[in-house]
Amino acid sequence: MVLVGAERLARHQDRVNELNVFPVPDGDTGTNMNMTMTAGAAELRNRPSDEVGRAAEVLAKGLLMGARGNSGVILSQLFRGFSRAVAGQQELTVPTFAAALQQGVDTAYKSVGKPIEGTILTVAREAAKHGLAISRRTAELAEWMEEVLDKAQETLERTPDMLPVLKQVGVVDSGGQGLVYIYEGFRDYLASHTGAGYGLAPNEPAAGKLSSDSYSSNRPAAAPNMRHLAQSRIETESIEFPYDMEFFIRRDVAKAGPFPEDAFRKTLEKDGDSIILIDEGDIVKVHVHSRRPGDVFNAAIVHGELTEMRILNMRDQHRDLLHADEDAGKPYGSELGLEAASGLPAADSREGQGLEEGRETPPNPDAYEMAPFGIVAVSVGQGNEELLRSLGVDAVISGGQSMNPSTEDFMKAIGGLSVEHVFLLPNNSNVLLAAKQAAELADRPVTVIPSTSIPQGMAALLAYREEDSANANEERMIKALDKVTTGQLTRAVRDTQMNGLDIRDGQYIGILNKDIIAAEDGVVEAARLLLEKMLTSGDELVMILTGEDADPECTGALVAWLDENYPDAEVEVHEGGQPLYPYWFMVEQV
Amino acid sequence: MSTQSIVIVTDSTADIPKDIREKLGIEMVPLSVHFGDDSYLDNVTLSPAQFYEKLPEAKELPKTSMPSPGDYYEIFKRHVDEGRQVISINLSSALSGTHQSAVLAQSMLEGEGDVTVIDSKSASYGYGLLVVEAAEMARSGASKEDILARIEELRSKTGLYFLVETLEYLHKGGRIGRASALFGTLLNIKPILTIDDEGYVNSIDKARGQKRAYARIVELLEADFANVPVDMAAVTTPGRTEMADELIAILKEKFQIRKYTHSDIGPVIGTHAGPGTIGIFLIPSKEQ
Repeated sequence: MVLVGAERLARHQDRVNELNVFPVPDGDTGTNMNMTMTAGAAELRNRPSDEVGRAAEVLAKGLLMGARGNSGVILSQLFRGFSRAVAGQQELTVPTFAAALQQGVDTAYKSVGKPIEGTILTVAREAAKHGLAISRRTAELAEWMEEVLDKAQETLERTPDMLPVLKQVGVVDSGGQGLVYIYEGFRDYLASHTGAGYGLAPNEPAAGKLSSDSYSSNRPAAAPNMRHLAQSRIETESIEFPYDMEFFIRRDVAKAGPFPEDAFRKTLEKDGDSIILIDEGDIVKVHVHSRRPGDVFNAAIVHGELTEMRILNMRDQHRDLLHADEDAGKPYGSELGLEAASGLPAADSREGQGLEEGRETPPNPDAYEMAPFGIVAVSVGQGNEELLRSLGVDAVISGGQSMNPSTEDFMKAIGGLSVEHVFLLPNNSNVLLAAKQAAELADRPVTVIPSTSIPQGMAALLAYREEDSANANEERMIKALDKVTTGQLTRAVRDTQMNGLDIRDGQYIGILNKDIIAAEDGVVEAARLLLEKMLTSGDELVMILTGEDADPECTGALVAWLDENYPDAEVEVHEGGQPLYPYWFMVEQV
Repeated sequence: MSTQSIVIVTDSTADIPKDIREKLGIEMVPLSVHFGDDSYLDNVTLSPAQFYEKLPEAKELPKTSMPSPGDYYEIFKRHVDEGRQVISINLSSALSGTHQSAVLAQSMLEGEGDVTVIDSKSASYGYGLLVVEAAEMARSGASKEDILARIEELRSKTGLYFLVETLEYLHKGGRIGRASALFGTLLNIKPILTIDDEGYVNSIDKARGQKRAYARIVELLEADFANVPVDMAAVTTPGRTEMADELIAILKEKFQIRKYTHSDIGPVIGTHAGPGTIGIFLIPSKEQ
């Protein structure tokens, strides 16, 4: 019987792996459980016994030695308890089987530091509880197992309601699924061996009797149709993007042309995941998990009229769960008094650590509060905006030398963030005043970090630490501004004299901090002069942000020149996309 | 060896070289690495060098799994039966269930023998240093209490920094959050990682480019170890030590190093940190 269970699990190892999102979404629960079960089965094959007590002992030993992974360890503990309960028994009867399942559950619960509900533990417990409850009225073993299995399956399907990470990814618990497979194997064996005298070890594994997919067709929805999504959506494990949004964009294709799906997807990806776009021509269906539903709508409304908008707060769903938990006391199986009896802490999904490997903390209550900090930065050029966002900027205001954002623009950006405290990075000296004014007018504390260039802003962002206080951050970020020097390369717009340089209209000029220090006809020549001034020790980090007018050949020539003359420098080039300035340079000392 | 009354047990992720383990009589319980259906015992049937050869050829990232309680039980039981006290120092329980297996194994002894199981709250040679020190103390006849006190002291005084080439591996293995993993991926930003008091991997600072990362590590270590005699260990990816050599040379110049150990990052740690990882570990030297 056990061998059939082991075999069924082995056959479905990959599917269990696919479901594995908790505690660590590493997709190895199936492998671990299978290895555990295989070790148990092997031991049983080596030392077969006709007595159920002896056989269970052998099995438990094998499982214990072979236990791998959290689910594997729990599995081994389930059978450890099981074997104790049937010790000395000759045959397996319904009452013994039921008592043994229950003792297995007790043992497993004791072995786990903080039991988490919605896992293999819950499935085992509910099945055992049901098994005990019906053991008096169901004397036929196969029939009894069928009911236990049904209960296990039913509980398995409820696991997403107990463990939010499962719900979010839309799967059932992987370890629980593994256990159901094992029970299915038991059921199949028992059903085909009706009559007296069941042993745990059959003489042959009866593989031929199992049609591997016979059950999946008659299983209700939850697990099968969602299973393929689990791995691909695995990144969502910690409700990072709480707003589950679905809506349609109504478009006039004749007028507006084809929907820019890739670009729109990219926009959504900046602050969301689980993105599904279905372009039907006149109507585009959008599904996304986002942190800022307003931003999503704003981005979408550009493409047409929005309709059938639906937003769910996934954190709310989770919160409701927690409240239900508090209100109802212990809703899951508390009649048995398991937690109380064994002195275990009440199962509480907020605890979230238990036996799990790794820091996949399920959302903690603090996460529902407003985030402590948000960062608003002024930027110009798509590349620069992306770089800033990758460094943690929450909202970007377009603006620069020739189009300075207003105080109102800042106010809007600040208002759009649900955070307690905002840092503003003006990234341009001309924008500083508007930023300061917005800071004074804003309805919450705003700290302006007086960055005068985008490279300076980036340096400040590197110094930012979310876990620090606002004051500590302000100090760190301001200090970081001086760690970098910024050079800008642009064209003169009129003839002038400055710093002893004769500058003619149209010439390339290099600006270091505020001063024009180079004026040349060629862009590469001007850039070299500028970089020569900026690099002092020769082993600095040089970042080049190319503007929309930068010529790739010139960029290549510059990098080659740097490699040759400053072999110890670390050089990186990024497409910034700013207008007017073919190059921005940033130099950071060691 | 047979006269020694205390044996030190650890797991394979301490990345302690075989010759040191054998010399000091350290017992090692291996974790496992799985490339598809092929399973290997960490640092036993798969050496670091073999692992990094296999890694680029693997279609998907290998998986790792902890030792079973039974693996620990067998070793504990053997030494208990032979009359030894056992101290088992294990990989951070925040990163793996390995420690839990050791705890279960201890409970399976049901009070028999004297077995102490310690959660190092650290990884790789970060606790390898503690294991080695404990083993040296055991050899020189120190008592269990003295060894435990020294481990406790060192645990809070270990300087521990990792540099990884990418956070992708840590993220895929679930050992670091997505936000941290994505940070600065567009720029050449090197996160400087440490392991916090709770045993979790944390990014303590970020630096742009390798050299600034090195400088920052020196700066961080200087805060605790300037003018203090130290034991230092460094772990690196086999065959890729060029960059690490540069950092190690700087550190050797800056600090008063009494003892230096170099080791390879083993398969399990390598699976989760990725190739090119460098680990630097400092503890204050034992008073002479």
